[in-house]
Amino acid sequence: MKVLFSWLTELCDLDRALLPEDAAVALIRGGLEIEAIDAIGGDLDRVVIAEVVATRPHPGADKLSLVDISAGEGVVQVVCGAPNVPAAGGRVLWAQPGAKLSGGRAIAARAVRGEDSAGMLCSEAELGIGADASGIAVVTGDVGADAVGRPAKAALGLADHVLDLSTPANRGDVLGHVGIARELCAQVGGRLRLPDASLKEIATAELRAAELCTVEIADPEGCPRYIARIIDGVRWAPSPLWLRRRLFACGIRPIAGVVDVTNYVLLELGHPLHAFDFAAAGGDISVRRAREGEAIVTLDDQPRTLTAGDLVICNPGGAIAVAGVMGGKATEAGAATTRILLESASFDAASIRRTARRLGLPSEASRRYERGVDPAGCELASARAAKLFAQVCGGAPAIGSVDAYPRPRRPRQITLRWPRAQAVLGIELSRATIADRFSRLGLEVADGSAENESVAVTCPTFRADISREIDLIDEIIRVVGFEEVPATLPPLSEIAPRTTDGRPARARAALCAAGMTETISYRFLPAARLADLGLASDDPRMARVVKLANPMSSEQAILRTTLVPNLLAQVAQNLNHGVTDIALFEVGTVFLEGENGPESLPHEAQHVAGVLCGPRTRWLGETREADFFDARGAIERVVAAVSGDLAHNVDIVAEPEPTRSPHLHPGIRAVVLADGARVGEIGEVHPAVRDRFGIEPRCVVFELALDGLPVAGVTRMQPIPRYPAIARDVSFYVAADVPAAAIAATIAAADQPLVESASPVEDYRDPDHVPAGKKAMLWTLRYRSPERTLTDAEVDAAHEAIVARLGAALDIARR
Amino acid sequence: MTAAQLIAQLDRLGADFDDAIAPLGDEQSIRTLQARYLGKKGTVSQLMKEMGRLDSGARREVGVVVNRVKAAITDQVASKLASLAERERQADLARTVDVTLPGRDPGRGHAHVIGQVTAEVVAIFSELGFAEKSGPEVETDFHNFEALGTGPDHPARDMQDTFYVAGGNLLRTHTSPVQVRTMLAQKPPVRIIAPGVVFRRDDDATHSPMFVQIEGLVVDRGISLADLKGVLLHFARRFFGSDLEVRLRSSYFPFVEPGCEVDVQCAFCPPGAPSPTCRVCKGSGWLELAGAGMVDPVVFSHVGYDPEVWTGFAFGMGIDRMAMIRHGIGDIKHLYDGDLRFLRQF
Repeated sequence: MKVLFSWLTELCDLDRALLPEDAAVALIRGGLEIEAIDAIGGDLDRVVIAEVVATRPHPGADKLSLVDISAGEGVVQVVCGAPNVPAAGGRVLWAQPGAKLSGGRAIAARAVRGEDSAGMLCSEAELGIGADASGIAVVTGDVGADAVGRPAKAALGLADHVLDLSTPANRGDVLGHVGIARELCAQVGGRLRLPDASLKEIATAELRAAELCTVEIADPEGCPRYIARIIDGVRWAPSPLWLRRRLFACGIRPIAGVVDVTNYVLLELGHPLHAFDFAAAGGDISVRRAREGEAIVTLDDQPRTLTAGDLVICNPGGAIAVAGVMGGKATEAGAATTRILLESASFDAASIRRTARRLGLPSEASRRYERGVDPAGCELASARAAKLFAQVCGGAPAIGSVDAYPRPRRPRQITLRWPRAQAVLGIELSRATIADRFSRLGLEVADGSAENESVAVTCPTFRADISREIDLIDEIIRVVGFEEVPATLPPLSEIAPRTTDGRPARARAALCAAGMTETISYRFLPAARLADLGLASDDPRMARVVKLANPMSSEQAILRTTLVPNLLAQVAQNLNHGVTDIALFEVGTVFLEGENGPESLPHEAQHVAGVLCGPRTRWLGETREADFFDARGAIERVVAAVSGDLAHNVDIVAEPEPTRSPHLHPGIRAVVLADGARVGEIGEVHPAVRDRFGIEPRCVVFELALDGLPVAGVTRMQPIPRYPAIARDVSFYVAADVPAAAIAATIAAADQPLVESASPVEDYRDPDHVPAGKKAMLWTLRYRSPERTLTDAEVDAAHEAIVARLGAALDIARR
Repeated sequence: MTAAQLIAQLDRLGADFDDAIAPLGDEQSIRTLQARYLGKKGTVSQLMKEMGRLDSGARREVGVVVNRVKAAITDQVASKLASLAERERQADLARTVDVTLPGRDPGRGHAHVIGQVTAEVVAIFSELGFAEKSGPEVETDFHNFEALGTGPDHPARDMQDTFYVAGGNLLRTHTSPVQVRTMLAQKPPVRIIAPGVVFRRDDDATHSPMFVQIEGLVVDRGISLADLKGVLLHFARRFFGSDLEVRLRSSYFPFVEPGCEVDVQCAFCPPGAPSPTCRVCKGSGWLELAGAGMVDPVVFSHVGYDPEVWTGFAFGMGIDRMAMIRHGIGDIKHLYDGDLRFLRQF
């Protein structure tokens, strides 16, 4: 909201003079946020108020005229192209040669089509005080007769500041200059000066509102109060410069007096008003809920269909306005309007909010009604507008108004316990000071409060946000200032239990240590990304997708059910950037639709996934491409980090269900089983999937459900062996399709107690050196006894027994 | 053979050995040579067999020579080996490398900067006894809004433009629902810190549709606004700098009352003298740190805590913002686009 500093200070009787920056600091302290303080009009120089002496046509140009003007020091000629040069005696704004206009534009004396022009006459737009560039600015009743010759900046108060501020969502009372002024008074000390709304001597004796109109409120919940007032004899004409300038500075485009006045009061009091053309609307007003499907054409020429919850203003012919949101086209005040019916009302905030949302019509009015407009303020707003209609539009208010206020609001009384306030705020309070500050906010602390432990506080109706003791405590700290609060640390009354199992943190640390880089991607996916993986339609990752109801783009169509697509997309991006050695991982949430359908909360699981692509470069060492075993190694590290001594419950085996991992290469993929349950997948990315993601080189991925892994307990120390181990190698040919796991299992099944470990060292398949259908393998077996140093003979016997077993079971041929 | 002849032969053997060992350059051949002279079947041993035929006087005379020759050979071998070892040591010490070549990269990984900052923040609050908590990222309207004092028509819903999922649930707009879930699940006292991703329909250089917040909640007997200030001051000094101050300003959030914004002095400006050209605080000298306040009784009523017995404070901070400020990251998108040129900087 934009607040004009001169307007603000006009409404306050402050104990000390303030600079705009001081006001901003005080308002910030009270809870408003100042986005910006903009100086306006301050750069105008050598622009003075001048009087038109004579006007005549330019001899060389139809659209130009020659204007003789005087600023008190002789008459000079100015060439002017505006259609609205006033007659002799009218006052205009003259930029003298050497003048500087808004934005720094410099003005010099020059000839225009052969006629001398001593500077120029300025439009509002050229002066930066308005939007109007269609003609020159004409100064009407804004200044006294002695103004001619005075600099415009000073005479018209053009040098000003605009505070751009944002207000708390619960404070409907600070959406106008008066509300801000009240806050300023409370913060810096001072009294509010309400604007003049006295209608004495301006009301016309011939008309009485009560004889011209009636108001009926069918729904007092929706419309607690409605005041109708008649203003007769208004002229459709531009508002005076001072009013136009204020509206423009606050971001509202001036139109004509009748409209400008309602906007002016809105900005001043924060109270929206609406002016109906009385001739079109008639005087019989009712407020009710719309009928389902009821139609109205609004001011913006759009036909609108209403629903049963919307509040409407009606005349006997039907709806004439969407209450609090927008007026109807048919009853709009316009150039032909001479008599207006002025609405000053209060509507239910939630109802206005719903209607404005549904119609997509946020307006200055609806924004205020949504935050609550005080029914008690209707009267002042109505009278203030009537006063301005008289002043600005030549109108005369009818005597009185029609005020429908079925259930008048009473100020609320709330009990405040001083000890409670002190306990919540952690400070000692000066009750007298608070009572004084409260009075500036309109809050009355009952007498004798300084002695009593609790006290009644009366809250004005415009503070709808204060309904409980805690709200008063908030008011106290606002006026006392948070800087008075000391800093203490709360004592620990209970020891915090350990609340996380640490799986994600352990996985992260393991993969960082494996040289991989962590990424975080959005939880969203475009719907097609899952199809790009080729997942089957009955795969839970396809079948149990959670869809977004209101995504900002198709990139956010669904929540991810797997981490892989975003990782692959990031691989493609990195390759585009010329980064070829890629080792990325992510730890994060995936979502599956809840067991009880879309209304239930989705099943959320923490997954870890990684992708490796391109060279594993080692300086001063060999370079090779990342392959399956890098991915498997990464997973093994995660399992070791998370499951520790329980890692033996986790197996990595060939894919038993080929249709479940169609995104992986059919010959280079595996699944991770924890206690027999499938918890992850590893493999080279299927070339067709790479094509769809735009990835040229081969890459390997893995994904693991962290929740599926057992979590390691505390590691117990194993005794350090006291006797040496003896190693024996066995080198052999075996059928190429015999997996290492089968060899390991056969060695284990030989049941030789001296075997400590058996590890494959080589898997060699060069067809020039290995018989067809075979592979050459080298295994190292280590033998050890915890009780003694083994003899060669013992080891040889055990080793040969194992080799024999391998020969019998797997048909190995020793090399 | 006579004693004299034996002695002559022994002396000759000694001389021969001297000639034989001189050109040798490795331990193996020296040991072989030594064995050829002194081994069981060595030449010296062969000659000693002749001694048996001599009388005892001559034997003694020859024995002295045998011992002298043996000792000479042994000494020669020892000194030759020592000099060989010394030569090897010198050769070893003569090796050089180009120390200006880059070091071998052990394949260092990189934790995400958001994770690094989160871990640091959690650790600081852990010092004060906060337990880490998490909650679902898809939430119910009740946990995200209703229980936090934000009914369906509450204007504060405008403060957070919400993503909804089909079926009516929503992507949490803040980490505050973790407060609600924690209080529903346990009795007071409560002291938790809850980091997590949150979502809002917003997308520009400083707003991402997904970002990371961290929520704190303390509920106990006698908790006051002063405790909130103290805890956040402790955090700000541990995270940003030990000489910094915090400032609380009144603000409004539906689930706290009194509510406030917490600012910390700009760590990038000289102490006490904000720089008008500071790009971080834009000359104000202050950075927004957290939204905070005393837990509103309406929240307690939703979770069944008695507000007359228990008071508490809550705060929420933007991890992204803290990371961006501290590391000079200009565009929030860098945090979520997986660009290794960015990720490997941290």
